[in-house]
Amino acid sequence: MDLFTVELTVANHCGVLNRITGVYAKGKHNIESLTVQKSHDPALSVMRISSRGDAAVQCQMLRQLHKLLDVKTVVLLNNSML
Amino acid sequence: MKKSGAETVIESLCRNKVKTVFGYPGGAVLPIYDELYKNCHRLTHVLCAHEQNAAHAADGFARVTGKPGVVISTSGPGATNLVTGIANAYLDSVPLVAITGNVAVPLLGKDSFQEVDITGITQPVVKHNFAVSDVRELSGILDAAFEIASSGRPGPVLVDIPKSIQTDVCDESEFLRQELFFNELPEVDLTAAVSAITAAERPLIYAGGGVTASGAEKELLSFAEKISAPVACSMMGLTSLPAGHPANLGMCGMHGSQSSAKLQSECDLIIALGVRFSDRATGNTAKYKEGKKLIHVDIDLAEINKNTAADIELCGDVKTVLKKLLSLLPHQERPQWQKRVAEVQKLDRLPEENTLTPRTLLKTVAGYCEPDTVVATDVGQHQMWTMQYFPFRSPRTLLTSGGLGTMGFGLGAAIGGCIANGRKRTVLFTGDGSFGMCLQELATAVSQNLPLLIVIFNNGVLGMVRQWQTMFYEKHYSSTTLNRKTDFPALAKAFGAEGKKVTTLSELEKALNTLASDRPTVLDCQLDMDEFVLPMIPPGGSVQDLVTGRN
Ligand SMILES: Cc1ncc(C[n+]2csc(CCOP(=O)(O)OP(=O)(O)O)c2C)c(N)n1
Ligand SMILES: [Mg+2]
Repeated sequence: MDLFTVELTVANHCGVLNRITGVYAKGKHNIESLTVQKSHDPALSVMRISSRGDAAVQCQMLRQLHKLLDVKTVVLLNNSML
Repeated sequence: MKKSGAETVIESLCRNKVKTVFGYPGGAVLPIYDELYKNCHRLTHVLCAHEQNAAHAADGFARVTGKPGVVISTSGPGATNLVTGIANAYLDSVPLVAITGNVAVPLLGKDSFQEVDITGITQPVVKHNFAVSDVRELSGILDAAFEIASSGRPGPVLVDIPKSIQTDVCDESEFLRQELFFNELPEVDLTAAVSAITAAERPLIYAGGGVTASGAEKELLSFAEKISAPVACSMMGLTSLPAGHPANLGMCGMHGSQSSAKLQSECDLIIALGVRFSDRATGNTAKYKEGKKLIHVDIDLAEINKNTAADIELCGDVKTVLKKLLSLLPHQERPQWQKRVAEVQKLDRLPEENTLTPRTLLKTVAGYCEPDTVVATDVGQHQMWTMQYFPFRSPRTLLTSGGLGTMGFGLGAAIGGCIANGRKRTVLFTGDGSFGMCLQELATAVSQNLPLLIVIFNNGVLGMVRQWQTMFYEKHYSSTTLNRKTDFPALAKAFGAEGKKVTTLSELEKALNTLASDRPTVLDCQLDMDEFVLPMIPPGGSVQDLVTGRN
């Protein structure tokens, strides 16, 4: 199955990572890599998460993640952006 | 002026137009309960017998009013007792604000007395939750909680407030705002939908809870009439259309009407409105969609393409989308399809019966109900029979646990629904098993003087599970025969309610003619344990597998 990476801008406070990984756990998608960094705005952090799934899974994950109220933006990175 | 956190809670509730809250006190919410005491002139607290039922009561209240229901509990066991109620509201998209106390901030994370991580525990079953860590955030968080619970696709929000924050003080000028990232709805392009509907020969509307949530019942009716399409409802959408309307096929899915199953398989276009294609509503999804186009309208983009791939995605509020569609579509007659619809609907007719059966029981009670009578159910066969045979006439009159299927939901929900509906007569259809999971709440119904009519479908068994054991497990009735000696009428009287045993239709009518108006009445109706809920599409099946009779 295809590896896909999403980049999220999220609120920078306690419990946010839990919520985001919860979306992966609920769909039984294993996370293969994950980074979290501060952004230029102290209220926001940037996450990159890689997991596997076909186009339908990727679309569903993006929508589920976007629904979270701590998530400001979420984009699917294509290989050339990595 | 400086305010304590507890005072801020009351102010926020009142600012959000809350007049009634449900709950149960304890050590970690003492400051809040002290403020409830001082503010009882403007905020009524309904003390329940169990936090789970308090949550169901707030849920029932919300389903009737369309506004967030509020439940308050203490930390630890009070909070964990809410979890089923919160999950129930989550799966049925019910707006709920749950407020829990927690131990004082310095005691957090130390396994202190009655400390649990309730935001962690509830995270997968809330729309959002907050652990308040500073009294200055509290007001903004509570406003956000109401906004989140009721906007977009509604759902439960939990706010966990440590006890020390309830007693901390701050000035209003110090209040902090909450920043949240709400999704904006995209502009919808209806061109493709309009041409698909105009081109269709046999369109069918599949209506769900989203129709109720957006208050789109009138638009749905005009839409169905304008495009000459029948309407099959999910359980959550059952009150979308009045019973008896020629376009109404009733409920679809596992125990749906034969007409809904047949017409669903024969249609060439499904217009899905505020539904999520639950496995209970669709059965085998591949067969479900074979040879048809699908237009899916939902306010939650993540629902579209989740369970069933849509050909046309319309992310938006059902009412707004229907209004636009109505203005764009011409009136369309489809004589052949309408003829077929009327013909297939004949399959749903019931044989005449004159003894006490689930069907005559429901029909008889319905005869004593007003169009706006609120009806709650528990979970099991009695619930499915209520969906099949009770003629729902108005929106927001059905309180039933759809997504979670929570036995024990009914009595709490009926209490909340009754209070929300001006304390008018409210009916609960429950089972002998389900009632056993919530009957302590009779105490609340009595102390609140609520004129509930509690109809127990007493078949002596966990009927729904027994039915599966009959059909799929060679009649191995493992732990489904109740063998109890509970005397329900005596039990009702012990609680201060009325109670009667009912074995015949005439006893039922007599009991219904003499209902108390200031307290609940329990009717213990004796039914056969071997009744089946039919028709049935076995799990994962399709219309070809439809079971309509026994054996
Ligand atoms: C809390 C909970 N536990 C177990 C179940 C599984 N279950 C579904 S229906 C049912 C039987 C319900 O029995 P009863 O309330 O007597 O209703 P009947 O089917 O007999 O009408 C059971 C055990 C459930 N839905 N909810
Ligand atoms: Mg039973």
